[in-house]
Amino acid sequence: MSSDLVMDTCLLAGSIILKNGGETYRTEETMARIAQAAGMDDVNSSATPTSIILSFRCKGFDHTRMVRTPTRTTNLNKITLVNDVSRRFVGGGITLEQAYLTLCEIDQKKPLYPKWMQHLAAATASGSFAMLAGGTWLDLLPSAMAGLIVNLSIEYLEQFVRMKFFTEFSAALLGGLFALLVVTIFPELHISIIIIGAMLPMFPGIAITNSLRDLLAGDLVAGVSRGVEAMLTAVSVAVATAIILSFMR
Amino acid sequence: MLLGLALSFMSSMAWCVLFNVPVRTILAGGIAGMVGYIVYSLLPLLNAEVLLSTFVSAAIVSLLSQFMSIYLRVPSTNFSVAGIIPLVPGSLAYKSMLAFVNNDYVEGITLATKTMMVAGAIASGLIFGISVVTIVKGARYAGKRAQ
Repeated sequence: MSSDLVMDTCLLAGSIILKNGGETYRTEETMARIAQAAGMDDVNSSATPTSIILSFRCKGFDHTRMVRTPTRTTNLNKITLVNDVSRRFVGGGITLEQAYLTLCEIDQKKPLYPKWMQHLAAATASGSFAMLAGGTWLDLLPSAMAGLIVNLSIEYLEQFVRMKFFTEFSAALLGGLFALLVVTIFPELHISIIIIGAMLPMFPGIAITNSLRDLLAGDLVAGVSRGVEAMLTAVSVAVATAIILSFMR
Repeated sequence: MLLGLALSFMSSMAWCVLFNVPVRTILAGGIAGMVGYIVYSLLPLLNAEVLLSTFVSAAIVSLLSQFMSIYLRVPSTNFSVAGIIPLVPGSLAYKSMLAFVNNDYVEGITLATKTMMVAGAIASGLIFGISVVTIVKGARYAGKRAQ
């Protein structure tokens, strides 16, 4: 088996997992398992949220490569698919070439749900969370609209503002301004409930969950860096909320 | 109560869509969120503190997602991220921000600490669920080696 193809397959699998919001330990484990199943010795893999290093020994030669993953999104479907491919390859169900081609296909895949459905989901999440936080039926629609605005602005601002945290800050600011506007027009609505609902689409749930799992698996660097990422998001949303609240006084 | 169930189910499913989970696991994610919310809202009736009920419900969500991940053969992150959403301390965080803006720093720090504690309870609940499954797996492995 050629060591180049093994290296390419492993790195592709690892970078797909890392790019789409998978845990670091899953990245390392998947790469190591594929390399071992392909018959490589002395396999070592290391991943942080921004880079992957893989090295193994093949017929007396050492091979090491590193790739960087500059952008990160969340697409759990791709992680599930890669998991499936690696499991089938390790189990002997498919050959290495087939695995590599499938991984290329997975990498090119578009998100599972269309854009409008994602925005609708953000609106639903915001609306129902506002009700769970103690809102009335009247608060449902404004918070759903505020959540929609937040999600839309995250998507469109990201193209202009290259910084993730400033994008989140501005999106939170816009959502809060909408809440303020709605409450000024209809004073019987609860601004607190609407803001709580609107900020929900920015809750860094996946970063927190992954950082915990990484810490538990012993990846201290990866866990801490993901935790800091989650905290920065939380702080930028909190500051935006504080600014909105100071307008209200 | 019934309304809360429907709402937690809806919001967890919406999060599943936001995170692009596979179609066949959306329903399971919604169920994870709903079960978490049921536990979270039932425990205070038994005089449980907020921290305890958050911890227990996060642990149950985590355990449930582990079992569903084994059953459906997908990574457990698919369920747990959506399942913990109804437990997020949104109103506490908001109140603490409000206190900071009103220059009531003592109240703000009190509420912020409370928020952190609840977030920590969610985190430790998740860790608890993961650890239990790891222990079971490890015990099985040890049992196999002993034979």
